[in-house]
Amino acid sequence: MLTFILRRIGQSALVLLIVGLVAFAMFRFVGDPVDNMLGQERTLEDVERLKEQLGLDRPFPVQYFKFLEEAVQGNFGVSYRQGREVSEILLERAPATLELAAVSAIFAILLGIALGVYTAIRRDGFIANFIMSTSLIGVSLPTFLIGILLIYLFSVELNWLPSFGRGDVVDLGGWTTGLLTASGLKSLVLPSITLGLYQMTLIMRLVRSEMLEVLRQDYIRFARARGLSDRVIHFRHALKNTMVPVVTIIGLQLGAIIAFAIITETVFQWPGMGLLFINAIQFVDIPVMAAYLMLISVMFVGINLLVDILYAFIDPRLRVAGK
Amino acid sequence: MFKTLCSTAALMSVLAAPAIAKEFKFAVTTDPQSMDPHAVNSAPVLGFLNNVYEGLVRRGKDMAIEPALAVSWEPIGDGEGWRFKLREGVTFHDGAAFNADDVVFSYERASSEASDTRSWFAPVSDVIKVDDYTVDIMTNAPNPIFPDSIANWMMMDSDWAAANDAALPDKEAGNYATLNTNGTGAFMVTTREPDLRTVLEPFGGWWDEAEHNITRAELTPIQNAATALSALISGDVDFINPVPIQDVARLQQDPNVNVIQGIEARVIMLGFDQQAGAAESGQGGSDVFLDARAREAVAKAVNVPAILQTIMRGNAEVASQLVSPAMRGYSDAVSPYAYDPDAARALVEEAGLAGTKISFKCPNNRYLNDESVCQAITSMLAQVGLDPVLDAMPVQNYWPELRADNFDMYLLGWSPGTLDAEHPIRFLGSTPNSEKKLGSWNFGGYSNARIDELLPMIQSEIDDGKRQMMLDEVASTMQNEVAYVPLYVQPLVWGTRSNISMTQRPDNFFILRWVTVE
Repeated sequence: MLTFILRRIGQSALVLLIVGLVAFAMFRFVGDPVDNMLGQERTLEDVERLKEQLGLDRPFPVQYFKFLEEAVQGNFGVSYRQGREVSEILLERAPATLELAAVSAIFAILLGIALGVYTAIRRDGFIANFIMSTSLIGVSLPTFLIGILLIYLFSVELNWLPSFGRGDVVDLGGWTTGLLTASGLKSLVLPSITLGLYQMTLIMRLVRSEMLEVLRQDYIRFARARGLSDRVIHFRHALKNTMVPVVTIIGLQLGAIIAFAIITETVFQWPGMGLLFINAIQFVDIPVMAAYLMLISVMFVGINLLVDILYAFIDPRLRVAGK
Repeated sequence: MFKTLCSTAALMSVLAAPAIAKEFKFAVTTDPQSMDPHAVNSAPVLGFLNNVYEGLVRRGKDMAIEPALAVSWEPIGDGEGWRFKLREGVTFHDGAAFNADDVVFSYERASSEASDTRSWFAPVSDVIKVDDYTVDIMTNAPNPIFPDSIANWMMMDSDWAAANDAALPDKEAGNYATLNTNGTGAFMVTTREPDLRTVLEPFGGWWDEAEHNITRAELTPIQNAATALSALISGDVDFINPVPIQDVARLQQDPNVNVIQGIEARVIMLGFDQQAGAAESGQGGSDVFLDARAREAVAKAVNVPAILQTIMRGNAEVASQLVSPAMRGYSDAVSPYAYDPDAARALVEEAGLAGTKISFKCPNNRYLNDESVCQAITSMLAQVGLDPVLDAMPVQNYWPELRADNFDMYLLGWSPGTLDAEHPIRFLGSTPNSEKKLGSWNFGGYSNARIDELLPMIQSEIDDGKRQMMLDEVASTMQNEVAYVPLYVQPLVWGTRSNISMTQRPDNFFILRWVTVE
């Protein structure tokens, strides 16, 4: 068992190293930050001097190694754009992204399960069919378009909700939250729907098909024969057994919600890590890009590692294969 | 729970503020990178800090120089320098008094190696404190436009900088002055959250009489154009800059929104590779534009009025030279190239260039509708027999490409920092010379010995008439040799709520002290 876990951790570390290497190889194509850092009246000597100072004149494996060397000591460098510690900036931005991701996930899970169950029970009902076909929109429309449509409808036309930003936030010792103010809560509505819509549709469709599968099982038939009420059959027996694969998917999708927040954050000018990353790309702020990409890959690799280890606990065959 | 109550109470008190509170929210695409007036020489930073810090002189609504922290100035002797009389009774936001020591300190700080603004002080040999309220700025040669060139040189308190360990700007790692301010200007920065929001409040001890009626201003960067536009229409912000050209007509229909249009100081032009042998060093380059006929053919083939009408929707003006008519030293001696496709075709035939591949580089996120303009130019050149290959890219990839000489032709915009016709000659018209710091944006290597000779003479000529004659000569020479093809002066389009009135300045600086909220 221990060998299995150790091997998995080793593989994860390898994945991280490769992600970093690919990222640094790509940075050369993103462009050159020095023109953004120096003004209009720079000389070509200034350009060369700054490049040398930032180590940009060296080949990318060398830059990457330097980054790793600093990173293992907990130092992610200073942002070219803001002139502040990258770790400080990321910590400042993390609450916005995590809060948005959490609210979107709750929205997607609650509504996704409810609608999934409903469409499974009323398989041929008019409303169920309507929900199923509109849900196709959620899957097929790109996120930024949904965001802009929502802004147009609820901010510009109806003027109910703010069109951008986080509203007023309350600082709870380093963690800023928008959950405690009215404007903060209002600001969360549109971005959460935009970000969670795809996951909601996914969960709904998964719950529906799993539920339909379960409802065909023998034990449901026996339950009906025993004269149990529909409510007990649907919610106590069928739904419970539906949830196993659904929970797995939800877990994996959590990472995706945080990573995909980039687009939603751009559309709503949501001051999270995704927006920070987009701005960093435009400025070629390499320290910020590197730190963000590493953070996201650590998160994905971590979730996968956890899932793998849990599977190994559940399924003894995997442990044998591990040896 | 207690914290919730506190924040609710704080919120209530904000809501209960007196009815006369005039709050102004403005959105821009680029957050000022730094709050340090000497660290970064870029328009977003200097434009924003003009509301917080002040210089010896400032620019008025018509861009003319007017007294700010200096009340008067006069040349010393035969042009050895300039003597500035400082305003008395001026205080910084922290209450410290402003005097000659701060000027000397600000000179040392802004002209230091660590500062981006040091090129402004290339003509300066020394800054001498005569008494507490008199400063002599000595120049290497007579410098008639020196007072014009220092409107963005902002004064910082020497004691404040020393106390906060910010005696020199630090752009790479940042210091106290990167996030905090202490100017003498009409507004104080009360909250600075980089990239998120910056809050300004009026400075009660300001020396000048306030024209604005703002009680609080909040700056939010919004990068996405559609988001900014919706924020303006829904009233979440009171001001956005820029308004996308294609949305102007729609916004003008909205009774709650005003569109303020003008022209910027920025001239958009085409540049050419005019160095022999560049083809070998760069990839895909050829020596096509060494032949003046090829450059002239381009000048005649591009139908600028048509571009302005279709792509700019009539919001820009045709340019005749590298500066716009609003700039000092603008030359009346030249007029725009006439559109003449037949003559252009004849020139292409004559030079034997028909069908020659031309590598045309263009940015796609730097100037208004830059890529569409380049596409239009590409098809216009194809019509006269040239074969341009357009390569449009983000600006962060664009400058390295130009520096590496990977082009035959390129698009460039130039906004003269000094608002004077001498500025583009120094950066675009001079033969590149790193020792003298000349021609640093002259990517194509245009070179004319007479212009190189005239530049120092223009820089030191005190007599306006003689100076203008030399500027006219440079403008005509560059036009005759088709050094660049000036296309148009970039439009400036701001959007505001209709209860806001303000003044738009061609340098695209947003001056808060001219804003009134009804």
